[in-house]
Amino acid sequence: MSTAERGAYGIQDSSETMALRVMDPAAFPSQRDTEPAEPVAAAPELARKPGRDRYLDLLRALALIRVVIYHNFSWTWLPIVFPSMGVMFALAGSLMARSLKRPALSVIRGRLRRLLPPMWLFGAVVVPLMLLQGWGPNYDHHPNWWWGELAYWILPLSEPPFGDSLHTFGGHLPASWAEQISVPLWYLRAYLWYVLLSPLLLKAMRKLPWVTLLVPLALAFFINSGLVDQSGRLMEAATDFTTFGSCWLLGMAHQEGLLRRIPQYIVPSVAPLVLAFGYWWLMRSPVDNPRIGHDLEAVPVAQAIWSFGAVMLLLHLSPSWEQWPKPLERFNGVISLLNSRAVTVYLWHSFALVLTEPLIDPLWSNSFFYDHLQWVLASQWTPLVLAVPLICLAILLFGWIEDVAAKRRPRLFPYPRRAKGRRGR
Amino acid sequence: MSRSRHQRPRQSIARPRRLVAPPLRFFLPVTVLATLLALMVLRGMANNEVFHDDKIAVSVDKATVPTSVLEGGPVVDARGDKNGKPVSYTVPDKTVVLSFDDGPSPEWTPKILKVLKRENVRADFFVTGSMVARNPELIRQIVAEGHEIGLHTFTHPDLALHTGSRLTWELGETQLALAGVAGIHSSLFRPPYSSTVDALDDWSWPVTKQAGSEGYLTAFINKDTDDWKRPGVDAIVRSAMPDLPGQGEMILMHDAGGNRSQTLAALPIIIDKLKAQGYTFKTTAQALGTGTANTKVTSYNLWVGKAFLWCTTFSVWLLPWLVALLAVVGVLVMARFALMLVLSAVHVRRVRRKGFSWGDPVTEPVTVVVPAYNEQECITNTLLSLAASDHPIEVIVVDDGSSDDTAAIVRELDLPMVRLIQQPNSGKPTALNTGVAAASYDLIVMMDGDTVFEPSTVRELVQPFGDPRVGAVAGNAKVGNRDTLIGAWQHIEYVMGFNLDRRMYDVLNCMPTIPGAVGGFRRSALDQAGGMSDDTLAEDTDVTMALHRAGWKVVYAENARAWTEAPVSMKQLWSQRYRWSYGTMQAMWKHRHSVLERGEAGHFGRVGLPFVALFMVVTPLLAPAIDIGMVYGVVFVDAYKTLAAWFAVMALQAVCAWWSFRLDKEPAWHLITLPAQQVVYRVLMYMVLLQSAITALTGGRLRWQKLRRTGEVGLEFATGGTTS
Repeated sequence: MSTAERGAYGIQDSSETMALRVMDPAAFPSQRDTEPAEPVAAAPELARKPGRDRYLDLLRALALIRVVIYHNFSWTWLPIVFPSMGVMFALAGSLMARSLKRPALSVIRGRLRRLLPPMWLFGAVVVPLMLLQGWGPNYDHHPNWWWGELAYWILPLSEPPFGDSLHTFGGHLPASWAEQISVPLWYLRAYLWYVLLSPLLLKAMRKLPWVTLLVPLALAFFINSGLVDQSGRLMEAATDFTTFGSCWLLGMAHQEGLLRRIPQYIVPSVAPLVLAFGYWWLMRSPVDNPRIGHDLEAVPVAQAIWSFGAVMLLLHLSPSWEQWPKPLERFNGVISLLNSRAVTVYLWHSFALVLTEPLIDPLWSNSFFYDHLQWVLASQWTPLVLAVPLICLAILLFGWIEDVAAKRRPRLFPYPRRAKGRRGR
Repeated sequence: MSRSRHQRPRQSIARPRRLVAPPLRFFLPVTVLATLLALMVLRGMANNEVFHDDKIAVSVDKATVPTSVLEGGPVVDARGDKNGKPVSYTVPDKTVVLSFDDGPSPEWTPKILKVLKRENVRADFFVTGSMVARNPELIRQIVAEGHEIGLHTFTHPDLALHTGSRLTWELGETQLALAGVAGIHSSLFRPPYSSTVDALDDWSWPVTKQAGSEGYLTAFINKDTDDWKRPGVDAIVRSAMPDLPGQGEMILMHDAGGNRSQTLAALPIIIDKLKAQGYTFKTTAQALGTGTANTKVTSYNLWVGKAFLWCTTFSVWLLPWLVALLAVVGVLVMARFALMLVLSAVHVRRVRRKGFSWGDPVTEPVTVVVPAYNEQECITNTLLSLAASDHPIEVIVVDDGSSDDTAAIVRELDLPMVRLIQQPNSGKPTALNTGVAAASYDLIVMMDGDTVFEPSTVRELVQPFGDPRVGAVAGNAKVGNRDTLIGAWQHIEYVMGFNLDRRMYDVLNCMPTIPGAVGGFRRSALDQAGGMSDDTLAEDTDVTMALHRAGWKVVYAENARAWTEAPVSMKQLWSQRYRWSYGTMQAMWKHRHSVLERGEAGHFGRVGLPFVALFMVVTPLLAPAIDIGMVYGVVFVDAYKTLAAWFAVMALQAVCAWWSFRLDKEPAWHLITLPAQQVVYRVLMYMVLLQSAITALTGGRLRWQKLRRTGEVGLEFATGGTTS
């Protein structure tokens, strides 16, 4: 230890003793040499191009899987265990904030280019099917509106229209099939609005970080307080925007390093209180169906608070994995696939779930299945098991458009053959 | 052996240890808690307090209920193939089924049974599982006298408000209780709050359908006597009479749930009148011509039922004891809060009085002993902070056989007032004794190798020695790394511990511990107490108690601040606390004879020791009663009241915390983590204490000598603050 360094730790007055209590090993270069194990962890901080954060990949994959399972079982506890939509928006917000280092207009254009083609492809399949089954200009007796709203299938500033009760392909599907298939579309609308407003949000976030974070929550309280008429396409968009706005902003704050600037203990101390408040709000909200119970997805304010708390915790944990931790390595393939086909899986999963019904129904007339495997036919798991290959089929058929939209070479089924992030040892 | 364990290299960050199965140390405490909780759940069920349901659902629509059911007879069969197209059965003409719901009750059921026996009439009893569990004798009597048992759920909720699995659970538990009590199962079911079939609606119909799919026949009623409203004997009799002469009917009455004297009085009249009209009395199954709805169970089902009943009985017996325990803990906790607030205020008034001094200002030089074992990360800071001391000192670093560069760093620093003594690894108490033996002066300050003093710390710490009766002084240890969650929790704990507990102990003259991080001793007092000993895992507590017994005063110097690095992982925290709490128990046991001694020692033995035992061992050990009570209250009694009580205690805790932060002039920001700290910390503390107590009770005493430094804990004391 040289004298120069000693001077740095000398104490002149009592106020400087406070500095002493920060025992940062990094401050002792001569001692650090004696701990050879350290540099491995420090290496990634070099000027290397930042790789994928595997933790965020994991969250995105979990969120997708959770959405599929929830839409199959309708378990009301599932959104509480893992608030998927909040997580998805937070991840998207974080990426958006990272991109916005470039000019805002080109970033927005890039986002739209990636988002819209997959949706157009989806529309190109779904709209003709609906037209085939009785949907058309005269469906609502307002042909002009119908033609006008069709534009939302091009640019989903509001939810793309669908027929909520159509013909049933000769009795093979329930009349509400189009409505079921269109369940994921609200997400695209919400995402579009967040993207469009992100440059503004980021500016506000940099000026008044904490106020900006909480404004969407406050607006959610206001919109859902009963003082505002919530019907209509505009209010629908506003409700969703406020519900997940705080999550999107949390993602941006995470990217901006806002969460790292506050003392470590604050988030894990506050988040449980936020969660408790959200849970209480959920419990005091009226129930639609007493035998199903409280559903987080049906109570926007509770959803907003709960998602906010959960996302806060998840982002606080954020360990920034450059490589997979050992136990997760084996899932690399699935998670990578889900991440590079996220939009496809999200758009088409409800389609797949709807299609399982005509696949299972004929088996009831099969005497072997009827006699011996009734439990399989009646089980709620069967549609899920059937939906997985259907979703894979959708990835094969429609997934390439995500590559095209991102100006990459189209791949049929981007399942990495060799685990990418494998460790040296 | 202890040495080799001692020198096992520490794990570095880059090679994290693989996660292993949860360690055994959690097993016993967790098992104890889980068992208690499970017993409480049984108890709550048996007393029909579960989920405190009294909500009733009514739907306006009945579109999903088949018309044939709405217009059909009172018994609905939706079993098996009939689940899609349920069949209704009517009670045959000139036949009547008497049914009693909600029982059995010890007060009214025997009287009703007596009437039925006298009239030679068989009836149906739709019983709740909780009443079955509480009145097993009555169920046996009902069965023995030829009546029929039907299920009325376990806890009497409105099933329309609950999930299908709740219905399955309610019926299953009730069958369990019936099997345990009377060795029977029943295939007859009546939903709570049900009435005639034409009252079925969209919400209650699925219940009947599900009961059918689980193999139950659902029995509704024709005639509701409304006897629970106590409308008068005449009204009950009138409403039990058939609308059309000779029409078969299913009559509903209640044998529990309140005063049933009118039911009892009306019953013989109804029976006589109906007999006079030529009616015969049958059970439901007899009326439908199917024999009986009750079947005997054997082997597995029977024994599971019996076990269930035994557990329930035991838990019912247990609860009053737990409530008493809860009361004791509550009183203790409140008393502690009050005492701490009052006495800390007294202490502050005393030492912050204008012109207060312990005696003549102490200016004589002081020896600072720094025991160091593998402290290379921190020892530089420690020594440099001592170098800035505004009090004349000599520093003795005792290197306790470190395997790292500690000694080299000390030598390299080459500070003028620092002496380095190296010894083979032999434990902290020995290192301290070595330092004391080499000390040049009569006043000795002991600190840890990972602690940093302020320039004034030593001066402030020795001022109380101006009073010749003072033998030792406790300083004010502060957590330096308070920005992490665990650090913030310990920060709160330290501030409260030093500003409330230590001030209280100071006023009561029974300070149990001088912190190892910052403590001052008079050499003559140390000699009298026999120096540091390695009899216990907490040498600081041990020596403090020895000083009390030798008649010395031990006081608290609030301005002698020392910054220390708190454990940063749950594992380190656990082993530190385990050492502390087990060491405290050992020290108390070692000094137990002081209770009978005379003079100062006796004062400590009779005031200090019980105090420490009460607040440092008994109260935290009983604290689980609070948590179990809370869970029990939220689930079984009244969630909002229970939570309100819990928040009130939390608020009180917050007041104490805020007061202590104010006394220490600390910003109160960290209190935001108080709720989380309270929840996690209390659980952690009683886990640790339970583990220590179990160790102490199961052979801890036998292995007294061997246990001293078995490694795991011994290793920890020297590395506790530095592994990171």
